Amino acid sequence: MSRIGVFVCHCGENISRTVDVEKVAAEAGRLFGVAYTCDYKYMCSDPGQNLLKKAVAEHKLEGIVVAACSPRMHEKTFRNAAKAAGVNPFLCEMANIREHCSWVHEDRDEATAKAIDIVTMMVERVKRNKKLQPITVPVTKKALIIGGGIAGIQSALDIADSGHQVVLVEREPSIGGHMAQLSETFPTLDCSQCIMTPKMVDVVNHPNITLHTYAEIEAVEGYIGNFQVKVRKKARSVDMAKCTGCGVCMAKCPQKKIPNSFDKNLGFRPAIYVPFPQAVPNTPVIDRENCTWFKTGKCGVCQKVCGPGAVDYTQEDEIVVEQVGAVVVATGFQLYDIGPKPAGSAIEGYGEFGYGTIPDVIDGLTFERLASASGPTGGKIVRPSDGAEPKSVVFVQCVGSRAREKGISYCSKICCMYTAKHTMLYKHKVHDGQAYVFFMDARTPGKGYDEFWRRSIEEEEAVYIRGMVSRLYQKGDKVVVMGSDVHIGVQVEIEADLVVLATAVQPREGADTLAQKLGISYDKYHFYSEAHAKLRPVECATAGIYLAGACQGPKDIPDTVSQASAAAAKVMTLFARNELEREPIVAKVNERFCVGCLACRKVCPYGAVEEKEIRDRSGNLIKVVAYVNPGVCGGCGTCQATCPSKSVELDGYTDEQIMAMIEAL
Amino acid sequence: MTPAKNILNYSYYPGCSLHASAKEYDESTRGLFKALKIGLHEVPDWLCCGATPAHNVDELLSLSLCAKNLELSNQVDGDLAVACAACFSRLKVTQHRLAENEEKRHQVAYALDAPLALDKPVKHLLEILATDFGLDRLAAAVQKPLSGLKVACYYGCLLTRPPDVPELDDCEDPSIMERVIGATGAETVSWSHRMECCGANFTLSRPGVVLKLSGEILASAKRGGADCIMVACPLCHGNLDIRQKEIEEASGRHYGMPVFYMTQLLALAAGVSTSKLGFGSMMVSPVSLLKEKGLL
Ligand SMILES: Cc1cc2nc3c(=O)[nH]c(=O)nc-3n(C[C@H](O)[C@H](O)[C@H](O)COP(=O)(O)OP(=O)(O)OC[C@H]3O[C@@H](n4cnc5c(N)ncnc54)[C@H](O)[C@@H]3O)c2cc1C
Ligand code: SF4
Ligand code: SF4
Repeated sequence: MSRIGVFVCHCGENISRTVDVEKVAAEAGRLFGVAYTCDYKYMCSDPGQNLLKKAVAEHKLEGIVVAACSPRMHEKTFRNAAKAAGVNPFLCEMANIREHCSWVHEDRDEATAKAIDIVTMMVERVKRNKKLQPITVPVTKKALIIGGGIAGIQSALDIADSGHQVVLVEREPSIGGHMAQLSETFPTLDCSQCIMTPKMVDVVNHPNITLHTYAEIEAVEGYIGNFQVKVRKKARSVDMAKCTGCGVCMAKCPQKKIPNSFDKNLGFRPAIYVPFPQAVPNTPVIDRENCTWFKTGKCGVCQKVCGPGAVDYTQEDEIVVEQVGAVVVATGFQLYDIGPKPAGSAIEGYGEFGYGTIPDVIDGLTFERLASASGPTGGKIVRPSDGAEPKSVVFVQCVGSRAREKGISYCSKICCMYTAKHTMLYKHKVHDGQAYVFFMDARTPGKGYDEFWRRSIEEEEAVYIRGMVSRLYQKGDKVVVMGSDVHIGVQVEIEADLVVLATAVQPREGADTLAQKLGISYDKYHFYSEAHAKLRPVECATAGIYLAGACQGPKDIPDTVSQASAAAAKVMTLFARNELEREPIVAKVNERFCVGCLACRKVCPYGAVEEKEIRDRSGNLIKVVAYVNPGVCGGCGTCQATCPSKSVELDGYTDEQIMAMIEAL
Repeated sequence: MTPAKNILNYSYYPGCSLHASAKEYDESTRGLFKALKIGLHEVPDWLCCGATPAHNVDELLSLSLCAKNLELSNQVDGDLAVACAACFSRLKVTQHRLAENEEKRHQVAYALDAPLALDKPVKHLLEILATDFGLDRLAAAVQKPLSGLKVACYYGCLLTRPPDVPELDDCEDPSIMERVIGATGAETVSWSHRMECCGANFTLSRPGVVLKLSGEILASAKRGGADCIMVACPLCHGNLDIRQKEIEEASGRHYGMPVFYMTQLLALAAGVSTSKLGFGSMMVSPVSLLKEKGLL
């Protein structure tokens, strides 16, 4: 190919400030095979693109190099423009003279020389580019949602309402997540159960939603539009088809004193249980670790009393395989466990707060259960140690959050607001009680949020003390809070009846393992990473996988629901098409030279390489070679670098092209 | 004792206090190490670490003093054993600061007019006993178990802080003292003020502060049910022991709480003769307590 056009962009001043763009265009014009060059202030704008289209027509261009920003930014834009001008889009390439050049250099002459080099290399590459056709893959219009908190529920309902099938997988016996545990919710103080449980019922009744509770993701294979997911449904020991949810088994089970983790262990449950009365589905599970039958082979009471005969001790884990086209990950968060430092953890503990040893030091979620009308105390706020009504309560914010020296530097975002809420709930129930709050900053951005916080101070008379707490200790039946008030520069001590710690929001235990199964990335704290912090906040870098809720970063309910609906909208956009176009930058095996060592299969991070048998007409096996499934290939080129016989190459990145680019330097 | 017979060998930086007001800390340390067959060889010509005053007025001076001591310590083989919590802190802080700051490294090298030699591991006695020697061996060396003695282990501000410097134990919730003295059979009490400040060198400029802060520590130890307090710092010892009578007068409360250096109790348990433990120089006499527990 020998008629190439080079279009050099100023990017406002982003490039032209350090690179002499006119010189780059002039030098490019001297290159063998370049038929046209120009420069323009904003190449990506409408006039810029028209410039390109006009030049193609006037100069009969056969290949295009746009010297501008990163291909991640505008490759698509310019390839579309090329296509509109009648040039195969894969004959259009970007020479990145912004991120790789003007932004990182200061010296104008050197930067200009480098920009010329970059353009020269891309010209050599485009000369050797082949016309490629996009690959199409079919789309399975069924979505998998992992996690049944408010995020997963919202996404599931939105997608199901649009007419598509949804599979919702929840690890616990019931959906609902944290929101089902909350009492009333900021900023309006509406009852969490009242707004949550109807949605849970909608999920179980929705004709388009298949619900797997007490289930986990075992394995995920495939790619956008075509995932195969293995779901392990843990043995419930109760037949869901037969159980009517009457609850007789729970009433008769002799094991009554098992701490209920849903109630933060303040209340008890039997061995056959639903975590809370409004659970969805309302089918109990047997907790085999605590069930007498499973421990000793005796008992069997629940089976005897169950009218429909639903109790089944022989049930085993079941693996269900689902074919889906998109995945929404909504596994939520957990609260930081504030005990002493766990062995091997990068995050320091808070042994000095005595959480776990001083009974009246609790976390925010425990306070929610105490304040909840459906909680273990029926909504009466009492001290765990002796059941007395606490007359002074100290709330401590930022425990674990924003504490670099303890290992977590981020802000947990929700605790300022829920602590303000806690002081209100407390004052509403204990009129003569006094709430104190130790805080570093009050972070209340959000509609109606600052007003809410002010109300806790001005109307509910919470005393806010700006400073940190260093230690908590038991003194008689009080908990002494040692802290500082930085506004007046003194150390303060408060003898409290109850201390509530607003502990850091962390991703769920096992978030990393799930991410590895899905092939998505996560940050050092194990929050899942979005593809772009600003412009692609609900998509993973892995195509076809979306994020919703607190698994991506600390979030309150309004933010969680917004993101969940956004993720659902992305899934619906995907499902609006019957076929997907994928970039044809995939590896191809030269079957003549391939020796079938399959070294490529070992290194392929996408699992795209398969074995292929080559047979003659009468069906005799001639040889085995590698085959790259174009739908799965991620175009990373690892196989190309590995192949000892040089028989696998990436379209658009052949060895010949790369060598030509190097030689052009 | 020749080094060959010892199980472990250390160079030893006693620091000024251990040659003066805290002689009993020094004596009991030497006694204990001898009984445990751990070699301890004092660094010749060591200097003052600069303590609190130096780093308050001139950081370069403070870093240079400690850097010089680290250089001197290379005359003797073995990691550097330190007893005083303040000296330990200064030496560790110096290693830390100089490791992370090239400019300061140049300044200190210029001040000392010699290349820096900062790499010798600095170890507090607690670390030597708990980790290098080991708690099992320590327990096995006990001749006079301290069972029945209720000890409040007092860390003070410097042993474990700031977070990333001493690397001795969890910074705010340590247990190394309890583990070490626990090996002798002593009972350790759980109490609130083991990490609070005693007032430190305000003892000279504003004794009122010390009476209040140290008073709270004594009150907390008493509340926790302790018979005595165990410390690893001469300054804490001074505030809790020497000032105890004044604290009692100011607060109208009686404590009568003996304050031991950790090595006094450990050496006692290891069977070192009581004449070498300096009990006589304690202001709050431990004699009746130790007699009552059958340890004297
Ligand atoms: C004390 C406290 C008070 C709060 N108060 C308020 C308030 O008043 N107002 C407000 O707006 N927000 C409040 N919040 C925040 C609110 O709880 C969250 O915004 C919301 O719960 C986030 O929803 P989610 O679905 O992302 O996560 P979660 O609620 O954590 O749900 C995640 C779900 O995924 C499931 N799951 C996890 N891992 C897996 C897996 N591997 N496989 C299958 N399922 C899995 C979990 O079991 C769970 O059901 C509060 C939070 C706390 C801690
Ligand atoms: S068999 Fe297990 S679950 Fe059923 S009643 Fe007995 S203990 Fe409870
Ligand atoms: S939301 Fe408030 S309390 Fe929570 S970590 Fe951020 S600043 Fe601290």
